[in-house]
Amino acid sequence: MDQKEESSSSSVFDSCPICLSSILEESYLDQCFHKFCYSCILQWTKIVGSKHCSRQSFVKCPLCKRKSSSIIYGYDGSSFQQHLIYQNSDNSVFFTKTHKYRLQCYYVEPGNSIGNINVLRYWKSNKYRQPNQWLYSWVSREIQALIQEKDVDIIVHHILGAIDSWRRNEPKASKLSPELKQQEFKSMVADVAKPFIRGRTDRFVNELEMFLASGLNIEAYDKVYVNHMGWKISEITTEDDEEPNERNPLIPFLCFSDEDLDENT
Amino acid sequence: MQASRARLFKEYKEVQREKVADPDIQLVCDDSNIFKWTALIKGPSETPYEGGVFQLAFSVPEQYPLQPPQVRFLTKIFHPNVHFKTGEICLDILKNAWSPAWTLQSVCRAIIALMAHPEPDSPLNCDSGNLLRSGDVRGFQSMAKMYTRLAAMPKKG
Repeated sequence: MDQKEESSSSSVFDSCPICLSSILEESYLDQCFHKFCYSCILQWTKIVGSKHCSRQSFVKCPLCKRKSSSIIYGYDGSSFQQHLIYQNSDNSVFFTKTHKYRLQCYYVEPGNSIGNINVLRYWKSNKYRQPNQWLYSWVSREIQALIQEKDVDIIVHHILGAIDSWRRNEPKASKLSPELKQQEFKSMVADVAKPFIRGRTDRFVNELEMFLASGLNIEAYDKVYVNHMGWKISEITTEDDEEPNERNPLIPFLCFSDEDLDENT
Repeated sequence: MQASRARLFKEYKEVQREKVADPDIQLVCDDSNIFKWTALIKGPSETPYEGGVFQLAFSVPEQYPLQPPQVRFLTKIFHPNVHFKTGEICLDILKNAWSPAWTLQSVCRAIIALMAHPEPDSPLNCDSGNLLRSGDVRGFQSMAKMYTRLAAMPKKG
């Protein structure tokens, strides 16, 4: 009797629900984290995808029916890979490799800082009073990557509108310390973004702050970021690998230490 | 092909092991073909099928478990969701709602549940569905009970 119990319970925990054998290339669905063989769940995803005439960007878990938009696999303790469900569909036209890399960022810990980007200096030097011309494109791509929808204009306008009006009203409350400013800004952005990106909000706010603090354009920022993570992404790194090092000196150059520089803008 | 064979073999071993565990279901694999199975299921209690034993035929496709098995009643049964002549079963998990996590054993359990809870709004047997839909539960039950007695119980004597 005991033997039977043991073997049946072990089969529940260690076998793939699709092939019923022990799991090869352990992989998980990103919402429920149910475990499958990578090839089994991938095959199932393809079968489901071929059945629907309208392309779908998710797969329902065979066990619990929750909708997941990616399969996580190749986890080795510190990194993993991700197969996005809609990769085979029409949506992939807008969802580029760089979207994929941005989404990937949300699954790893970036550490305290990236490259030479100094977030505190950004606040202390009042740099935040300057509008950032790349912000629209950056937020746009970020939201696209996070919610995996192409048309995110409304959300982006909403977030940028809130940032703009905060920036306009900010001088009136200029007695706050830079740290309080920073807190106020971040909680304001979090409130605005939360309905759309939910659990990823806090991380999004940090990423946004990091991008603003860098003062870099998107291309340069991506290079610094990818370089920092040690990722190899052809679209971002191949042009030539030396470049991120050349661009790094740009960062201190852009961080004016003189507060007065910003007063006129 | 190989994958479906391997999976069916796993299920076969599991069935051998669990034979005692579920007294309502007896799954048997064809001696020569692992893609053909039959099952004997007991009619659920407190239904007109109580006391009957119903035979099901499984035909498993090569893409199993990515494709659902085909199942039909071999024993005649009066039920809104079972075709009276062919034994075909109208059950979502055997069609659109199929998931590869189902097994032949759990499909049997789902069919037993369907016997206890008919869905008269998607009938394969219209006479049976109409009786239930018009509220004639007694009429439905006596018909179902009669066919259970005629087809699913051992003949006396």
